[in-house]
Amino acid sequence: MPQGRAVNLAFYIVRRVLWMVPVLFFVILVTFSLMHFAPGSPWDQEGKQLPPNVIASLNQRYGLDRPLPEQFVRYVWSAIHLDFGLSYQYENRTVLSLILTGWPYTATLGVCAFLLIVPMGIGLGVAAALRQNTRTDYIVVGFSTLGASVPNFVVGILLIIFLSVDLNKWTSGAFWLPSGGFGLDQHLIMPVITLSVLPITYIARLTRASTLEVLRQDYVRTAWAKGLWERLVVVKHVLKNSLIPVVTALGPTFAFLVTGSVIVEKVFVIPGIGSTFVTAVSSRDYPMIVGISIIFALIVALANLVVDLLYVVIDPRVRLT
Amino acid sequence: MQLGKPLQPIRLVAVLGAALIGVLACGPGGGGTTTNLAKDQVLRYNIGVEPNSFDPGQQQYTYEAAVGRQAFEALLKPNKDLTDVEPATAEKYEVSSDGLTYTFHIRKNAKWSDGQPVKAQDFVYGWQRLIDPRLGAPYNDYYVFKGVEAASKLKATDPADKIDAALQALGLKATDDSTFVVTLSEPAPYFKWIATLWNGAPIRKDVVQKGGSLTDPKNTWATKPETLIGNGPFKVTEIASKDHVTLEASSNYWGGAPTLKKMVFYEISDANADFAKYKNGEVDMNNVPLANTDLVRNDPQLSKELRETPQLGVRWIQFNNTKPPFDNQDVRMAFAKAVDRDKLAKDVFKGRALPISTFIPKGQSGNNPTVGGDPQKFDAAAAKDLLKKAGVTSLNVTYLVRNDTANQQIAQFIQDQIQTNLPGVKITLEVIDSKTVTSRLRQKNFQMYHGGWIGDYPDPQNWFDLFKTGSGNQFSGYSNKQYDDLVKRADVEKDPAKRKDLYDQAHAIIVKEVAGAFMYQGKNFYLVKPYVQNDTITPIDEWPGCYFSKNITIGQH
Repeated sequence: MPQGRAVNLAFYIVRRVLWMVPVLFFVILVTFSLMHFAPGSPWDQEGKQLPPNVIASLNQRYGLDRPLPEQFVRYVWSAIHLDFGLSYQYENRTVLSLILTGWPYTATLGVCAFLLIVPMGIGLGVAAALRQNTRTDYIVVGFSTLGASVPNFVVGILLIIFLSVDLNKWTSGAFWLPSGGFGLDQHLIMPVITLSVLPITYIARLTRASTLEVLRQDYVRTAWAKGLWERLVVVKHVLKNSLIPVVTALGPTFAFLVTGSVIVEKVFVIPGIGSTFVTAVSSRDYPMIVGISIIFALIVALANLVVDLLYVVIDPRVRLT
Repeated sequence: MQLGKPLQPIRLVAVLGAALIGVLACGPGGGGTTTNLAKDQVLRYNIGVEPNSFDPGQQQYTYEAAVGRQAFEALLKPNKDLTDVEPATAEKYEVSSDGLTYTFHIRKNAKWSDGQPVKAQDFVYGWQRLIDPRLGAPYNDYYVFKGVEAASKLKATDPADKIDAALQALGLKATDDSTFVVTLSEPAPYFKWIATLWNGAPIRKDVVQKGGSLTDPKNTWATKPETLIGNGPFKVTEIASKDHVTLEASSNYWGGAPTLKKMVFYEISDANADFAKYKNGEVDMNNVPLANTDLVRNDPQLSKELRETPQLGVRWIQFNNTKPPFDNQDVRMAFAKAVDRDKLAKDVFKGRALPISTFIPKGQSGNNPTVGGDPQKFDAAAAKDLLKKAGVTSLNVTYLVRNDTANQQIAQFIQDQIQTNLPGVKITLEVIDSKTVTSRLRQKNFQMYHGGWIGDYPDPQNWFDLFKTGSGNQFSGYSNKQYDDLVKRADVEKDPAKRKDLYDQAHAIIVKEVAGAFMYQGKNFYLVKPYVQNDTITPIDEWPGCYFSKNITIGQH
């Protein structure tokens, strides 16, 4: 890489990172406002209510009796110092500790799914495109359409029924997958499959379409005409160009995966960050909501940055400015 | 008691299990026999949600009591048919003749899980914490004794010495290490039940101090098993956040270490996943989801493991009595009489509810299905007449419902019944999230709501308190001075017969004036594996057998 380009790249990265600061501020502002405008307070509940003096005590403890702008400034100030406050819902536990508790589960699941999605999605897509209008193509397209239309909770529950409950019955308990929970073992199989189905079909369709387009290009025809080996034509001339839109899609996909799927976490009883977030919203746990939003925003921003940097590697025509 | 959390109300309402006949009708496995014990004495159950706190004083939900009641023990506990209290950490108690002083004698051999003796001072401290504004204990309002009134005016931000002085002035005293004396400001015959609440457990000051400053919200004593020292038959040994809590038998428990060595409480929010786990043998007990009722009934194996028990809770239609059209008693009564409760219990609940048109559930003293002539009884013709009498020919109302499947099914049934039986009435369901519903109720921004109550303790006071003027636990805006007076007199009345009569009179008033249109009493469907032995289910269990957990044994299987 020429020196000038490396310097440009460094500047580019620094600038992008700096841009995240206003983005995060905006995320805090919007999340903070929306949740305070949402009806219902953290202390509203079904059944026995908290006595009025207890509600007053709690508001005083968490500063909720102060004016909103003051609460906002106080929050931003402590967030800058990486203090995201105490959860309202979980007594005596900090937001950061709760996020760090749930995060590893979600991240493990997301990374495993991603490692399955990339080869499967691209592989199926390329195979279908190279054998367009053959049985392979029809099977891939059929699977993609089916996978895209079946919601993942259905996939998850079907997997549980077959691989856990039925398999347990058929093998008289000799072999079956645990229906829920987490561990770095067979616990991962069903959730990873469930989480991957939709992105695999999406990536496969995307790869197939863009590969088909590239295959029709003149330079590919030229490559064939030159009598190059198939592998060389496909990898060097076709894939390199057809994967650009796929890489664009993989960034958000990765961000989506590691920020947690609420449904998959719920179905497979995985104590991840996705379910933590939903619980936080429904229980109006303000510090948890903002804390998790910040993390999500950060991940999406970083994933997009990585995608933009990858363009440079794949496509020399791309210039970062 | 708490009806549950927004995400899982069905399951939590159900977890609050009541088992009126469960005690008598212990199904298979519930017998009193102890046959060959299994090698692993482990009991596994799903409580659905991670406890928000492990400090019993800070707990309020059933899934919290599920753990708190095992790790800590209050002064007294209910007997198995809820007719009276029986000794727990206090071996006996006396009430002064004026009904104002309760003297509890702590067992000499009562010990904390680390072997130290449980002292009366630990109860004084535990109960002071319930009143301390800096801690905001949820059950604060149930602990009625001298000085509480003044302390409730304190702010969390008041100077520490001012708060401490108020706490010292409370009617709580340890006259010696084993005598805990509580002074009330007025007689309360139901106070013995307050002494059974799990959140009134003793707390050790030196243990709390290990987690940081005593009143700091960041104090961590109750978040780690090492510092979570309790006086219950079990002790918390593992807190795997959002996954499970493990408790192990405490060898220091005054009654001796339970035979059951270990309890694992899972935190699986999905009721169907939990049900699958039961079928796989990954948990030993299950609270059957409503949708699986018929499946369980028709399954030859599961139906044998079923423990069907009424719940000490009632649901009703709550009207906004402060605004038209429901400020008119005839309109409320027309609605109340327009719903066929028998059909509701049969069609929607598939027999998992008992129809009721009065306030107090079966199994709770004060239950009186014919009180005041049962005016709310289903009668479509009379309902029509009442509406005509009120001069209403057409009416559009919205019905506020919390967004869970069971609530919606029930509300749809009620909607259909009223629209069919009261021509001209149109009901629109407004299904929204739980917190929003409560805030709308508080603002009186509603017309009809699907409300209810589950008893915290089996004394009618816990129920009749609900419709007193200004009650914070229901939002109808109902107010009747005569009712308030009757309940107030009954609350302090020492003669049980007189007390019952006063409550009956009050009962007749709220039924007649339709403080709520009472609909049904829930039932629990527990599945218990046949090898779970010696479990005693009571009407107010948070999980089947929780009050008598130390007797449970696991048979070979």
